[in-house]
Amino acid sequence: MRLAYLATLCGFLVFMTADTSRADPLRQLTGSLPQRVMGWVVEGQDRFFDDKTIFDYIDGSGEVYRAYNLRGCLSRVYSRDGGPSIVLDVFDMGTPVDAFGVFTHDTDGEAVAVGQDGRWRPGWLNFWKNRYFVSVTVQEENAQAFEAALELGRQVDARIPEEGERPKLLTRLPQGGLQAGTVRFLHHPIVLNYHFYFSDENILELSPATDAVLATYQRATGSARLLLVQYPDAGAARRAAGNTRRHYLPDADADGVARLENGRWASARLKDKLLVLVLEAGSREFAADLMRETAH
Amino acid sequence: MNEKRHVVTRRDFLRAGSCLAVGSMIGLPLLEKNAFAATGTSRVVLIRHDGAVDGGGNARADILSGMLDAAVAALFQVSDASEAWRAIVKPGDTVGIKTNLWGSLPTPPALEDAVKQRVLAAGVSPSRAAVDDRGIRSNPVFEKATALINMRPLRTHHWSGLGTLLKNYIMFVPSPWSYHGNACESLGSIWNKPEIKGKTRLNVLVMLTPQFHGVGPHHFSKTYVWTYGGLIVSVDPVAADATGARIIQAKRNLFFGEERPISPPPRHIEAADVTYGVGHSRPERIELVRLGWDRDLLI
Repeated sequence: MRLAYLATLCGFLVFMTADTSRADPLRQLTGSLPQRVMGWVVEGQDRFFDDKTIFDYIDGSGEVYRAYNLRGCLSRVYSRDGGPSIVLDVFDMGTPVDAFGVFTHDTDGEAVAVGQDGRWRPGWLNFWKNRYFVSVTVQEENAQAFEAALELGRQVDARIPEEGERPKLLTRLPQGGLQAGTVRFLHHPIVLNYHFYFSDENILELSPATDAVLATYQRATGSARLLLVQYPDAGAARRAAGNTRRHYLPDADADGVARLENGRWASARLKDKLLVLVLEAGSREFAADLMRETAH
Repeated sequence: MNEKRHVVTRRDFLRAGSCLAVGSMIGLPLLEKNAFAATGTSRVVLIRHDGAVDGGGNARADILSGMLDAAVAALFQVSDASEAWRAIVKPGDTVGIKTNLWGSLPTPPALEDAVKQRVLAAGVSPSRAAVDDRGIRSNPVFEKATALINMRPLRTHHWSGLGTLLKNYIMFVPSPWSYHGNACESLGSIWNKPEIKGKTRLNVLVMLTPQFHGVGPHHFSKTYVWTYGGLIVSVDPVAADATGARIIQAKRNLFFGEERPISPPPRHIEAADVTYGVGHSRPERIELVRLGWDRDLLI
């Protein structure tokens, strides 16, 4: 009886393990990744981290991935005699929107045709595709390793069959004067404050349920920052708009525009569940133009 | 949201910036509260040796020990390093030596050993001296510490601009992430906590192979470290960090061939001076003593 019970239990555990593996897209993707690239071969065991253990792997900036709802992270090392190691990190962000978002946290670099929006800086390739953010790093300068890193990126790209859609909120950004590489998509106040310090409290009520996009503009009338926040319900949007008026723009005039202490201009307007904030525009005219083009 | 508390916004900083002359390396200006002693200076010793690091990038223990001794002797203005160490710790002290174990650029074990040996040589009981980083909140020596020695390598950092001596104490708090706002501006407040304030006897900022730029999730590439072969030693962590920051900034400008500000700006250094009164950040308040190898000094 006991043996039968143990056999059943073991069978159940094996089934559950196999089922978990099948159900976990990151583990499925991992199984298809190359073992060898241009002489570099997989070294040691793959490591997996979740939103709690990510800090064991990435000190400090692990918080960025949590701010974009990290589901899991694969870390794999490729090595070759006489060459530097290549580290592949694949972050499963759960959705294309969050994969895109975490990609926008750092958009420097030269555009390369790898994945979606691939970027290359000496020693670091990164791109997003579908629900994944992919990073390939080489920790010292080596031309062969750099080429192998790019090739590894191409092979990972090829094993993620479908591209992902960018956040719909991006379509609300006016295109005139939008500066390439300045678009940041985010949910979390700590990420907003990293790119543009706004306040020490979460007065915009940002959360995993809110989508926000921050962008920089340059036109003949000067420069400006624009922040759009899309709320899941009208109540949250009204509270955030009220907080903004009370704590950030208490001196706004009848048009909702305020002159800042540095001589620049800011305004806020609520349009249904979308809060539009023009931040630090170079002129009142520019602030009004951006607001009109966005909150129409 | 707390309605009673004053919410600090960007506009508070802009307002303060309109009436406050600020340092050169910060982004948003600071809210001036209680500047560190309006008079006086902090002594900082920068010592370098062209053989401090071997071809593999590892610290050479014998040279490092000599540098450490020469630096503390110069810092305390005595002829004998052992005399300086006896001024730093007393036989009755319980001494926590806060190190940094970050995988890509840790405090060299040779430096940990050298400092601990000197603490013991000054008469501290072996059971009352410990080296630790991430376990300090549960380490009995740190819990009972009457004296702290703080040491770590200087590097750029994702949230704070620079991983500094000031930032090295973030492991003393239960929720380090709560200090990440505004480029970790409030790190200096940790130094005013009752269990820490006034206990730090020596700070050693390791400048053997500092990191001046970072990329990727791990914020590290050997492309962006260089052999500087130095230690910065001071009783004042703010002055030591400010000195190190100037070197990092100079190296960035040199490497990139243009003005390339540390990003995000390491606001916490000046905030530790201007807002939290922990030490001196401004060059005119720092007495910098340069010793040893002077090639490509950058400061």
